Formats: sequence, structure tokens, C-alpha cells
Amino acid sequence: MRWEDVWLRYGRRGPWVLREANLRLGPGEAAVVVGRNGAGKSTLLQLAAGVLRPTRGRVVDRPRHVGWVPERFPADQPFTVQRYLAGMARVAGLGGSEADLAVDRWTGRLGLTRFRGVRLPELSKGTAQKVGLAQAMLRRPGLLILDEPWEGLDTAARELVPGLIDEVLAAGGSVLVSDHRGETARLPGATHWTVADGTVTARASADAPVEALVVVEVAVPAARAAGTVARLRADGHHVLGVRAAAPPDAPAPGAPATPVAGEPGGPPAPADGAGGGVPATGPAGRVGR
Amino acid sequence: MSGLVRLRLAGFLRTGRAVAPLLAGLLALGVLYGGGRAQPAEAYGVSAVVLFPVLAWQTKILLDVEPDVQRRLALVLAGAARERAAGLLAAVVAGLGTVAVGLVLPWLVGGVTSQVTPGGRSLAAGVALGVWAHLLALPAAVALGALASRAVTGSAGYGVAVLALGVVGTLVLGLSDSVVPWLAPPVMPAARAIAAGPSGATVALLSGWAVAWSATALAGYAWRRRARA
Repeated sequence: MRWEDVWLRYGRRGPWVLREANLRLGPGEAAVVVGRNGAGKSTLLQLAAGVLRPTRGRVVDRPRHVGWVPERFPADQPFTVQRYLAGMARVAGLGGSEADLAVDRWTGRLGLTRFRGVRLPELSKGTAQKVGLAQAMLRRPGLLILDEPWEGLDTAARELVPGLIDEVLAAGGSVLVSDHRGETARLPGATHWTVADGTVTARASADAPVEALVVVEVAVPAARAAGTVARLRADGHHVLGVRAAAPPDAPAPGAPATPVAGEPGGPPAPADGAGGGVPATGPAGRVGR
Repeated sequence: MSGLVRLRLAGFLRTGRAVAPLLAGLLALGVLYGGGRAQPAEAYGVSAVVLFPVLAWQTKILLDVEPDVQRRLALVLAGAARERAAGLLAAVVAGLGTVAVGLVLPWLVGGVTSQVTPGGRSLAAGVALGVWAHLLALPAAVALGALASRAVTGSAGYGVAVLALGVVGTLVLGLSDSVVPWLAPPVMPAARAIAAGPSGATVALLSGWAVAWSATALAGYAWRRRARA
């Protein structure tokens, strides 16, 4: 998919939201769209999906099958999960039996099986977001577009997203994902598209080689563990885990007495994606960058 | 595309929003047929005029019932042209249901007579003209409802204004001494023609007029939707 001098504004007198974007995303490639709130990340993704048309310029060579996961799934619809996904499979062009198979497969993989008879408005935000993921994957997309896919998902469900991305990439598809939580640290090799002041800058993600990783251990009061983890993630850090602190007189493995991972003499730094998102149960945690 | 047509019809019927225009239509037809028995063709000519705003309103509701983001999801999966066509097709199918109710109802409430007056047209010819008048109004009503839909107007207020202006304009510009009757779909002229006993040429002219008006309005819909998904 190529973007040729793409400009976009909403309305004739509106300010330019995007200016002169020239981008390229090849088969098997992933790009992470980063930028501040309101910078135009969702706009960029909707241009890629074909939901928005460029005011000037054009987006060419878009794969035939596109899967788009919007930031908020539109749950205000009078269907059960099963009926909705079966309907969307038909909309995506799958035949009757293919559609049923696809719905079975994706409700199973995303843990939606027990919600199949539940009406969409009754779903929790995270479960509805999974329905959003499922509809995009029913027909394997040549281009998967994920707008903040981790929003609202619980820890276990967050782990599913990289798997979906890998599957699309392995099949020769492209993936475009926006992220302001630093979760895409788990997408090594993805290009970064930074949106700021209406311009998009693409750069290869080679600024954080694995050997440069260090692990920093932080102790916080138990009650503030969840908030700290959330803040660290929001700052782009990769939280490897959270565990209970050992009593002061009996240091447990991994407590301050143990050499810090990645330092000379210590255990090797964990590879990217090794941990992350263990439920906050205790006051001490390890943070990698 | 049939998958999306079915999904949208299901959404329209399940939310219960189909009830309001149907009730309004039944009420209007009840008033229309409350005055005693009439010849089918004349009664159906007026019925088509009465159902025109109902069909347009119903189309707007059907297209608006889907959340904006869901409409965009459908567009991504099905493609822009199919997404638009599926919405219009769903509105036509729903409209055909309403038209069927409008055609059958007067027989149930005794609003029409099957007795042929001396020198009058046959029952079959009268019913056929009635069906023609309704089928003439349907595409124009769907086009007006589509132009009033949220996907085009962007806000509920503008949508209602477009719908009201369109309906009032169709009735006023369709009056017999209108200067610019061709600005509106020929719903009123068709009712008058039926009452007078239309020639083949009149039927062809009004049909062509209705097709041209609907095509222009639908082209406007497609053009507006190009910029606004």
C-alpha cells in the first residue's frame, strides 16, 4: 500500500489534519502509528482503511481484504455476538458454511464462545472490543488496521493481539497499529509512523536493540502497584512482571540481593515479550525499557 | 451485498423503530379510507401521495439506525459502492413491505369497492394503476430519505429539515398550477392523472420523470457520501 502526497481536512474551511503524507507499507510489514492524543492517528488509520478519502493525493495498492478494528466497537446494535459476527462474515463475502466456520474459529480463539448468545449492548467494554477484533479477522485481512487495540482488554486478552498480528504478517499481510501505551514494544521490526502537527514521519524501529535493555526494579506500596504499572506502560516502558516483595531478612530470588538482569554477572536480559502484564499482587516490580 | 441488506433490515426491524412510520402510515390511510368506498385507482393515487412521506421517513430511520462506526465497518468489509447500494436496497425492500400494506389495507377496512361503474375502468386496470402510482413514489421517497440520512447531513437536525423540506416541496411543487413541477418527483401529478384516466403517453412521461428525478437525487446521495463515510 502506498500513500502518494496525501492531504486531508474535514470540511472545506477546516485546518489540514494531515499534510503531504508519502508512506509505504509492504506485504509482511508492520507499522506502528504513534503520536499525542488528537494528533491524527485515527484519521491516518481511517485513510488507510478507506473509510476516509484523501482531500488531495491518493492511497493506492490497498489490499483487497481489509480488517479494521476501531478504537471503540459500536456495541449499540440489536444483535447477539453470534448473529452479528455471522452477519459480518457474510458482509465480508464469506459463504454460509465458511462464515459459520470463521465465526466458530474466532469466537473460540478470542474467548467469546460463552458470549455468543449475549446481545452486543450487554457486553463489557473489553468483550465488545474482542468482537471488534473478531469481525476484522473473519476473512483473513491483507491489511489489518488496529486502532488502540489494547484499550479495555484485560491482561490475558492483551496477549492475544500480538498473535493476531503475527498471523497476518506470516500470511504476507500488512499491519498498521496505533498505540499510545507502549504495548507495541512487542512488535520488533515494525516501522514507526510518528504523527505530529499534521505531518507523518516514518522511521525504521532500530533504536532499541535487545543488548541495550536493562531491567530496573522498583518497589512501591501494594495499593499503588496497579497505577504504577499503568503509568509506566503509558510512558512506553515494558513491565516484565509484578511480585510480592520478600521480607527484609530473607531475600528471595529476584529481590535486591540478586544481581540485576542484564548487568555483568547477572542473568541475561530477557528477550522482548518475555513477561508483561502479570496481575498486580505485590509491591515490587521489575521494569524494562 | 445481500448479507449487508439482511443485516440492515434485521437491525431496522429489531430495534422497533420500524413501528413509528408504520403506525403513522396506518393512521393516515385510516383517515383516508374512513370516508367510505372509492374506486381503487383513485383511492390508490391518493394513498401513494400519503405514503410518500412515510416511505421517506422510514428510509431515513433505516439508514440512521446503524451506528456511524458500524456503517464504516461495513464499508471496509464490503467496499464503498456495495455499502451504499445495500443501504438503498434494504430501504427499497422495507418500502415494498409498506407499499404492500398500503395496497391491501383498503380491502380489509372496506375503503374501496370492487363494483365497476358503467363506462369506468376495470378492477384489474384500477389496481394496476394503483400499484404503478406506489412504485413511482417509492424510489423517489427512498432517494429523499437517503439524502436526509445522518451519513449525508451529519446531524439529526439537518436531516429532519431535509426530510420536511423535501416532503413539503413535493406536495407544494406538485400542485396543478406549479411553475416548476419538475423540481419535485411526480407524486401529485400521478394522483391527478389517475383520477382523470391517464393515457399510455402520460404513464410513460410520469414514469420517466420519476426515474430521472430519483436517479438525480440518488446521484446526489452517492456524491455526498463520497466525501463523508
